[in-house]
Amino acid sequence: MSGSDNRGSELELRGISKSYRRGRDRTLVLNDVSLTVRAGEFVSLIGPSGSGKSTLFRMVGGVEKPDQGRVLIDGEDRTGHKGLISYMPQQAALFPWLKVEDNIRFALVSTGTPKREAKEQAAQWLERIQLGHVAKEYPHVLSGGMQQRISFLRALLMRRSVMCLDEPFAALDALTRADMQRWLLELWEADRRSVLFVTHSIEEALVLSDRIYVLSPAPATVLRELVVPFERPRRADVWTSTEFVELKQEVLRLLEAGHSGTV
Amino acid sequence: MAFAIEEYTLPAPSDIAVKMYEDSAVLWTHVRATFGLALVGLALGTAVGIAVAVLLHIVPPFKTALSPLLVLSQNVPLIALGPLLIIWFGFGTTPKLILLVLVCFFPVALSILVGLGQAEPHLREYLGMIGASRWERLKRLEFPASLTYLFSGLRIAATYVVSSAIVAEWLGAGANTGIGFYLKLKFSGFQQAAVFGSIVCIVVMSLLFFYMVVLAERLVIRWRPRPEPEWKEASS
Repeated sequence: MSGSDNRGSELELRGISKSYRRGRDRTLVLNDVSLTVRAGEFVSLIGPSGSGKSTLFRMVGGVEKPDQGRVLIDGEDRTGHKGLISYMPQQAALFPWLKVEDNIRFALVSTGTPKREAKEQAAQWLERIQLGHVAKEYPHVLSGGMQQRISFLRALLMRRSVMCLDEPFAALDALTRADMQRWLLELWEADRRSVLFVTHSIEEALVLSDRIYVLSPAPATVLRELVVPFERPRRADVWTSTEFVELKQEVLRLLEAGHSGTV
Repeated sequence: MAFAIEEYTLPAPSDIAVKMYEDSAVLWTHVRATFGLALVGLALGTAVGIAVAVLLHIVPPFKTALSPLLVLSQNVPLIALGPLLIIWFGFGTTPKLILLVLVCFFPVALSILVGLGQAEPHLREYLGMIGASRWERLKRLEFPASLTYLFSGLRIAATYVVSSAIVAEWLGAGANTGIGFYLKLKFSGFQQAAVFGSIVCIVVMSLLFFYMVVLAERLVIRWRPRPEPEWKEASS
């Protein structure tokens, strides 16, 4: 029931390494990172801040090229190709000079949706997520939570088969955050696009994902891949189960071990 | 007459008012001519300013190579350039317009050029990640972001455009229209009340131009939050 024609593509990162030059030294940021998001799967990347998660995203988006390794979409090498993913950043990144509906419309048009369809979709979906009344407002009058909803909607409606969400709720307060997670799950479970989700909140990763990759501190490498066993659609009180608590502890141990390993 | 000030040194405000009233028909034609000239000059200058700024922005080597020339264009005095332009282009409106464009394009180009480079980094990153083209980045991000800068440049241009038009008219001896021409004529005839009358016209026109820009800015830039009303008003 979304704007996309396909349900999702498989995204695979193979042996991605990247280093940056700082003065005379080269600092390794990503060290042989490999991961897969299968078609229609929700996968989270979790790791300490500064572990190169955003750099990894830039590789997926084609904004930067890895020193080594490849980005594959549906098995084809797409390393360094732009315009293949939809993206939701940490800050809502709404354009202040465009009204809410125009923000959505322009993003859809620039990613290949015909003009008239983009307009209809923006109006329809804003109504559906109960934000129809702010369609003609400028973004600065909206609360942080509302802005993020619009930012997510914009990413969801793009005709792209892989969605990348970069810590989208990090700047929100705890209540709004829990609310947004439920809201996102509801929309995503009806759509089942392939999602790569970056977060540093363990609970958030466990509530939302099918699988989790735990990253080490920089230079980042995959410490562990975890399968989240809870059924879909996910219950709102999933975080109260003992299994949830055990998984959370396991991730926490991994992050701590990874941390002390580098000291 | 305690200070024995003659009318040809400093006319009384009443003399100026009377003179303006007597000459009102002539003044009106000259004011209209100057106003038209300044308006077209400002519009053309703004258009040239935007074009130059965008060109220098999208082709960075141009920016490094041509920026000194931009400054240079402002260093040649109008009174040197005016007569030269008249020799090259004759006594029509062309040399006057060229002068005005030269005066107006500079503050506009300079301020937009700053604005184009100032666009929010996270919006830039967003457009990169969704694979927007260079043109879309210019149209959707860089240009709208530079509009506030454009208007601050435009305010400066609007402040100077009328007095520059006066200089152009003063120099363009052949074409006998405009407040500049009237001013020159009255000055030669020692009619200081009329000279002050034209100063009044020039000042009023300049203010008019300035507030036209302020109004245009308010109409164009609607996305900025309005300042909150003061608490005083709320409590009363």
